[in-house]
Amino acid sequence: METRSFLTLEDASREDIREILDLARAFAEGRVGGALVDKTVCLAFFEASTRTAVSFELAARHSGAHVISLSEKGSAIAKGESLIDTVVTLDRLGADAIVLRHQAVGAAALASRHASAPVINAGDGCGQHPTQALLDLYALSDALGGFERLRGRRVAVVGDVLHSRVARSVIPGFRQAGMELALVAPLTLLPPDAGALGPPVLSSVEEAVEWGADVLYMLRLQRERMTGALIPSVGEYARFYGVSRRHLEGGALVMHPGPVNRGVELSGDVVLDGSSLIPDQVAAGVCVRSAVLALSTGAAQRVAA
Amino acid sequence: MPNHNVPNELLIRQANVLDPSTGLDGVMDVRLSSGLIAEVGEGLRGTRELDAEGLHVFPGFVDVHAHWRTPGREDEEDIQSGSAAAAAGGFTGVVMMPNTDPIVDRPVVVSGLARRVERESRVRARISAALHVGLAGERLTEMRLLKQAGAFCVSDDGLGTTSAGVLRNGMLYARSAGLPVILHCEDHTLATGVAHDGGAASLAGLPGSPASAEDAATATALILAAETGTKVHITHVSTALSAVLVGFFENRADVTADTTPHHLTLTDDAVSTLDGLYRVNPPLRPDYDRGGVERALRDGVLDFVATDHAPHASEEKELPIEEAAPGFLGHETAFAVLYTELVLKGRLSLTRLIEAMSCAPGRWVGGGGSLAVGSPADLTLVDLSEEWKVGRATLVSRSSNSPYLGRTLKGRVVSTIVGGAPVHDRTGAKFEVRA
Repeated sequence: METRSFLTLEDASREDIREILDLARAFAEGRVGGALVDKTVCLAFFEASTRTAVSFELAARHSGAHVISLSEKGSAIAKGESLIDTVVTLDRLGADAIVLRHQAVGAAALASRHASAPVINAGDGCGQHPTQALLDLYALSDALGGFERLRGRRVAVVGDVLHSRVARSVIPGFRQAGMELALVAPLTLLPPDAGALGPPVLSSVEEAVEWGADVLYMLRLQRERMTGALIPSVGEYARFYGVSRRHLEGGALVMHPGPVNRGVELSGDVVLDGSSLIPDQVAAGVCVRSAVLALSTGAAQRVAA
Repeated sequence: MPNHNVPNELLIRQANVLDPSTGLDGVMDVRLSSGLIAEVGEGLRGTRELDAEGLHVFPGFVDVHAHWRTPGREDEEDIQSGSAAAAAGGFTGVVMMPNTDPIVDRPVVVSGLARRVERESRVRARISAALHVGLAGERLTEMRLLKQAGAFCVSDDGLGTTSAGVLRNGMLYARSAGLPVILHCEDHTLATGVAHDGGAASLAGLPGSPASAEDAATATALILAAETGTKVHITHVSTALSAVLVGFFENRADVTADTTPHHLTLTDDAVSTLDGLYRVNPPLRPDYDRGGVERALRDGVLDFVATDHAPHASEEKELPIEEAAPGFLGHETAFAVLYTELVLKGRLSLTRLIEAMSCAPGRWVGGGGSLAVGSPADLTLVDLSEEWKVGRATLVSRSSNSPYLGRTLKGRVVSTIVGGAPVHDRTGAKFEVRA
């Protein structure tokens, strides 16, 4: 059975993405069961996570896999074991897939070079978070009536693009879906060469709405970056880069990978509003990650056969 | 130092001799006697001859920037392996940097190191002591005592100096002590990343360090060098603007500058591999800067090449790039990389390369880099036609963190001679010593 690591959305084609979303739909509709029976999925989280860890665990269990969770506390990671040694250990113990969350860019790529089991990137530093982008595409496709309906729609990615692995995955993801992109952030929260990412830069959510954004994709602002050298205050940030109800009056949808800082990226009344896809994004996590696990381990072929 | 139990005379016959310092260029013989160049010409006679037909003879290469990790990290390199790597790369002289453990900031460390160099080094190794205690940029080291103990120059290499005022005092005191200063120019309030702050880092999500981190510090250093009159050498220039700044101060200060083989031949595209191997300080830059540095070397604005030979254990390099230690091996590949990538591609003349690897750094350390009669018999013999592949097994260094692993290069050092004695010798059939 062919296995493959899943590290980045940078190299994913439109067809790759569609294949995963279709399989995710099959999982969601209960058309595939037990895809991962007898498989062992290892969750190696070198960095804290709630929703990603929980939804990977549910995704694996729903498909019948054994799940082993390793967190930084109470494992060899806390004893200073190197990333490579931890990954090799999990691999030799018989893991069929290793789901890795790590604080450094390229950690999943490095791990995949040392493991025979496929490695699934569950977030590497400011690098990539590919399953997040896929579940976003899944939730958005649902809301707009199918993946094909994303083509030509406009999405503004708002906030701390510089430090966001989510941004580095959703940007190529939305682009492959045929969407038009814009970035909305102050220069202090954009990469030095924002041009390398592609989209034009707008200066406020207001401007993004005028630009005709169908979707406002909000990035989380880390607490330690809320005041000081990068932005002057939460108040000013929320005023120009936060979404409030009036921005959604024209029918724009709002998304956020969570956890939300209420009153910063979104005003409190917007989070669970009808225009918000945030609960749908969370819900999509399980079936999308089931699909990624099935494709990575080669189990999807078994399902199809 | 080299083994002195060899016959004190050697005649190198029929070599392609190239020495920009004397203008020698052509097939001739070189006679070495008592550790010095005794005679250069045609049809010379000697008791002990070696046939160097087809080989090139250059004044020995000199590398003013080497980390031999001694004392403290002999698992990565020591004086024996570092000097063997230098000799294998054709270097007859190096300057050892002081960022070891303990740091070379006290006279007793310098004198201990000097004794070990005397016993263990195959090449002429000079010691750079620290400019500030602990390289911390606060208290001056005892520079006059360091010099008495055997220090050749001072440097806080590995770190930039954060305060211009502190740096100015350091320069003034070094001038009183009669020690040149080697400066690693980097402003740490700007250099907060692990790669050049450009497109590759932006796409990868790597924290970047902008060119301004180097340029601002270089400008400060040059202004202070001009004002204090201190002999200053700026090492590993990696940006186009810093090279231009050096050019501006060429005749306004007692200043020289070098760049490295990797900044001349690699760009920040390499970091998109996310491989920790490619982390280095200053970071690999975009082609615009690489080209600017190449032009400045060609024009002589950058005086010479230095390798910043920085061995690291595999556990410090086989990491995500953000967590990897910065630095590359340099000694063994320097000449072949520059010959293959610059000379053979018509971007630098062989004469200018030898000027930059031998003559200019030899003048800087004093008494080296020349085949003039009476000079020390330090020479490098190279087969320009030999192709070789860089591999872990071909490297003499104790570490293997070369960014050129797997590359096929042209031009290989066949023999390195220090004070008339071979310290590296791959001669075989090509290089016969007749008794």
